[in-house]
Amino acid sequence: MMMLAQLFFSFVKIGFCSFGGLTMVPIINDEVLAHGWMTADEVMDIVAVAEMTPGSLGVNCATFVGLRSAGIAGAVLATAGVMVPSLTLCLLAAIFFIRLKGNTVMERILRGVRPVSLGMLPAVALSLGQSSFLGAGGIAWDLIAIAILCGYLLVKKNLSIPKTILLAAVLGLVI
Amino acid sequence: MENSDRSGRLFTLFLVMAKIGCFTFGGGWSIVTQMQNEFVERRGWMTEEEIVDYLSLAKSFPGIMIVNMSVISGYSMAGIPGAFAAACGLVFPAFITISIVTYFYVYLKSNLYAQRILNGVRSAVVPIILSAALKLKSRSLIAKKSWVLMIASFVLCAFTDFSKVLLILAGALLGLLLWSSDDVKEEEVGE
Repeated sequence: MMMLAQLFFSFVKIGFCSFGGLTMVPIINDEVLAHGWMTADEVMDIVAVAEMTPGSLGVNCATFVGLRSAGIAGAVLATAGVMVPSLTLCLLAAIFFIRLKGNTVMERILRGVRPVSLGMLPAVALSLGQSSFLGAGGIAWDLIAIAILCGYLLVKKNLSIPKTILLAAVLGLVI
Repeated sequence: MENSDRSGRLFTLFLVMAKIGCFTFGGGWSIVTQMQNEFVERRGWMTEEEIVDYLSLAKSFPGIMIVNMSVISGYSMAGIPGAFAAACGLVFPAFITISIVTYFYVYLKSNLYAQRILNGVRSAVVPIILSAALKLKSRSLIAKKSWVLMIASFVLCAFTDFSKVLLILAGALLGLLLWSSDDVKEEEVGE
């Protein structure tokens, strides 16, 4: 029971701190590692799975964590939790939409939140990278090579994310 | 009669959103095109302008952008029950897919070939996160003070255990303190 409540509120928190896509990863990482629900490796697996399957990262992650730590009830509650901000704040905004038009408060808040979320991304990449590239067997140069190749293709060649993940999967298998 | 019309619309809303939910990969921007198709062109339940307005509203509130978008649109088409029907419809396919994946995950983790695949996939996640940061750069770093916030956030996250939730709250507060309404309006005119 306690566990279910913790799951629900953790994902409510994650939902409220998310302003778009992968900026969620640092917060998810913090919450699930702190509670011992997932390891850093599993966080990376679910990010990859979320990018390859339909649905947003937040929902996919909530379902995955909930199901693994507390079965179906956990999955439902965690997923419901991550939807709470949309069904409260955003619904209220929709109801009062006309009155909010031209209101600049939210935009000012976002000016502060966006750079903060942005700064978290390289920090979480650093800590996730440590766990995957510096394993028990020393530095994994082959995996670093895969990462560099993927980064090049993503940024310079605009390869789509699902295709990049697929390529990394094949390379992982053959190297 | 009116009642059955209403529940019929809610049910359609759920189904159409579930269909859209099957094809929202990655960030899920494709939701906009699909909603245009289903609700503006095919059913006439929304207008083109509404989609644009709701999108900017959905983007500027916390929460998952595509769930926000479903809630606002659902509300506009069928009130508060519509908001819930649309949001539940959207996440339904993801919920089922991930449940199946999770079920096989335990098995996959103990399989040698699957382990190698997972190692490769994990290597791709780091550059994916970094490339997301690059894409967000132009929209986030609009002034010198934004750079300061970004660097401070990076340092606190990388080298301390400072709570990320508190960091986001601090960012929100600093946004209110450092930018006035006039700044925002001026820049909009400039765009």
